[in-house]
Amino acid sequence: MKKLLPAIALIVLAVSLLAIPACGGKAQPGVYTIADETGDWGFPSPYAHYSRGPGYVRMQFIFETLVWKDADGFVPQLAREWTYNEEENAYTFTLQEDARWHDGVAFTADDVVFTFNYTKEHPYQWVDNSIVAAAEALDDYTVKLTLSRSYAPFFQDVAGAQPIIPEHIWADITFPEEFLGPEAVIGTGPYTLADYSKEHGTYLYKANENYYLGDPAVAEIRFIKMAEEMNPAAIEDGSVNSASAPAEVAADIEAAGFSVITSPPSRNGKLTINHTKEPLSSVDFRRALAYAIDREALVQIVFRGHATAGSPGMMPPTSPWYNPSTPRYAYDPDEAARLLAGLGYTLEGGRFVKNGEPLELSLIAAATYRDLGQFVAQQLTDFGIAIDFQTLEAKTVDSKVGAWDFDLSIYGHGGLFEPSILTRTIIGEGFNSARYEADPELTALLNAQLTEMDAARRKAMVFDIQELYAADMPALTLYYPTSYWAHDGSLPLYYTADGIAIGVPIPLNRMCFVR
Amino acid sequence: MTGKYHLITYAVAFIIILALNFLLPRMMPGDPLTAIYGDEALIAMTPELQEHLVERFALDEPLWQQFGAYLGALVSFDLGYSYYYNASVFSVIIGSLPWTLLVVGTSLVLSTLLGIILGIESGWRRGSKTDRALLTGLMGLNGFPDFFLGLVLLIVFGVVLGVAPLSGAVTPYAGLTGFALFLDVLRHMALPVAALTLAHLAGSYLLTRNTMITVLKAPFMLTARAKGLKPGSIKYRHAGRNSMLPVLTMTGIWLGRLVTGALFVELVFAYPGVGQLTYQALLSRDYPVIQGVFLMVAVSVLAVNFIVDMIYPHLDPRVRHAY
Repeated sequence: MKKLLPAIALIVLAVSLLAIPACGGKAQPGVYTIADETGDWGFPSPYAHYSRGPGYVRMQFIFETLVWKDADGFVPQLAREWTYNEEENAYTFTLQEDARWHDGVAFTADDVVFTFNYTKEHPYQWVDNSIVAAAEALDDYTVKLTLSRSYAPFFQDVAGAQPIIPEHIWADITFPEEFLGPEAVIGTGPYTLADYSKEHGTYLYKANENYYLGDPAVAEIRFIKMAEEMNPAAIEDGSVNSASAPAEVAADIEAAGFSVITSPPSRNGKLTINHTKEPLSSVDFRRALAYAIDREALVQIVFRGHATAGSPGMMPPTSPWYNPSTPRYAYDPDEAARLLAGLGYTLEGGRFVKNGEPLELSLIAAATYRDLGQFVAQQLTDFGIAIDFQTLEAKTVDSKVGAWDFDLSIYGHGGLFEPSILTRTIIGEGFNSARYEADPELTALLNAQLTEMDAARRKAMVFDIQELYAADMPALTLYYPTSYWAHDGSLPLYYTADGIAIGVPIPLNRMCFVR
Repeated sequence: MTGKYHLITYAVAFIIILALNFLLPRMMPGDPLTAIYGDEALIAMTPELQEHLVERFALDEPLWQQFGAYLGALVSFDLGYSYYYNASVFSVIIGSLPWTLLVVGTSLVLSTLLGIILGIESGWRRGSKTDRALLTGLMGLNGFPDFFLGLVLLIVFGVVLGVAPLSGAVTPYAGLTGFALFLDVLRHMALPVAALTLAHLAGSYLLTRNTMITVLKAPFMLTARAKGLKPGSIKYRHAGRNSMLPVLTMTGIWLGRLVTGALFVELVFAYPGVGQLTYQALLSRDYPVIQGVFLMVAVSVLAVNFIVDMIYPHLDPRVRHAY
């Protein structure tokens, strides 16, 4: 043991020597540091960023779109103004004349035309390029986009999402996914890429001093990788300016004097119902399920209050598209029992029975939804429906649901900012849609709302859709999760109206970083 | 003879691993194309691409021909293509491997060495206060999972005392080079290595201590004492060396546990590496990467065991006659 002591002392000394100079994490002026749990979201060019929201966010500091959104709605970006010609089904955009690419070359209408032609051959992962039939430059700073069909969410999904790329650089690129040089990140945006490390998951951006819409607010933006649990400590000691905040500590961070902003609901979790088989094919039966599940209690128990109870119309109550007269199906087990009685069920010893058969249903969900599934199973069991709840590997759940081999399942998806999600997840194909076409009126409205270019008429349609969808109950929205973002207040971060581009719910809009 | 026997055993194990890795995704419910290429492929999939992918792994052929195509691809290090990263699985794994090797390798060496030393000291003084303290302490540590130890270390040294970095493998954009960079890397790896080492120390410690107690009763120990050798020499050269053998055997097996342990520790410390990669692959259902990592871990455990098996006869000539 005598020999051991000096050895231990040596190790302790070595560790403390290594540890002492570690206090270099304080905030530096002009540097804005953002922590992220995953870190690597791909090289931030339009074709190389990973196909997820954070990947787009890293790209949008460099590349810009024709129109953009701030906290309140659409604002000019590379296009100063625009008009819509209903007869031709075409938009004419007047472009900014003083915008320049990072290498000094002037931005012109040719770049816009090139972008829309280039994406015909090399589709950009986030934008359906079939919507724009033709792009033509009327002069150096006027461009006309003719649509192939009426498409209501054109600004949200195309004009405000498609990054414009420089013709003089991309014209000869045949494999855009493999184009990863410094030229691949020449855009018109307020920041330029100085470094990207895939292995460490870090990004370094520098201010573009020649930006045409204002001055970049900081000299450098850094993205670093950090476990989410460490974010509060890092924000409090000043080494990080901004990061997502775990729900449990959001209140503490706020109490310590930092800003915490709350995301508007953009995702949901829902109860998927196999409406093709008995007894779930009965509308009254599905309504009974909705009455028997207490969604307010679900939010308090499963999410400790960090969520909003689901509206049966799918659109969240905070959305401008939300129809306040959508049937609510507030928790009412008596009404649920009355509906089941109408279908011939009787309550015997706490269980609903029909023709001597006790009512039994299965519920499957991926392990992520374990707590939620247990809650739903418990509520329905208490009500009188025996539930066999199983968690399965996510892909197994998807394929069982896809093959209609289930009774009830739990599934969640994003995209709730734009009502096109209603069409995709009610009559769309694939496991993530209810695939419900039993109501011709609902189906017709779902298709019509996508092509209605008049905002007021579209809104009326979306309102009707929510009422019909809630009445038919092919699936029940259970909740909308809440997420929090903490920052030191040095920049005015906000959640973009309807999310960044096609709906990314992350408060790192590039315009927050421009004065 | 023994060498040949060994090779056959390892070859059989290797083939079973390959067969499992080949069969599992194909046995998953639903479209094998998604199971093999992951969800991301669905987004990127054009009809031409789909055709190319079916052809590449001969998915329209009978199973045995598919296996042939799979083996053929493996020979040229073609582990598949990740549509999430838009890169070959091999290059994705190779990119994050060095950091995992650094942390796992260091803690494997440290936990084995420390375990052996502490085990020898503890066994030598069986029943003493030191022995009881070590035994209780390490048994206690053994009860905590590695990521929990990591969190505790991170909270104490990183958050409360503020002496250790909160995340990563280097300080990003600090412009460090040379010796300063070397120190920075050491500083960042100190806590993850400590967490893994502490969590795995108990295994080698307990094994050495037990063997030590048995070895101390052996007749050759009496001889050593009778020869009047110094206690240090008896303890380490005679008893200690003989107590190391089972630990070496176990090291090969622990490697697998350490790599999976590293998964959680890497997450806690946001340390780049195969663990982070696996986690991200699970989240985005990037099946090709998951399988690639599985194959790599299985093969490296096999390889380390093979190396240990080869070294063993040199350390203990008796095993040559054990067959």
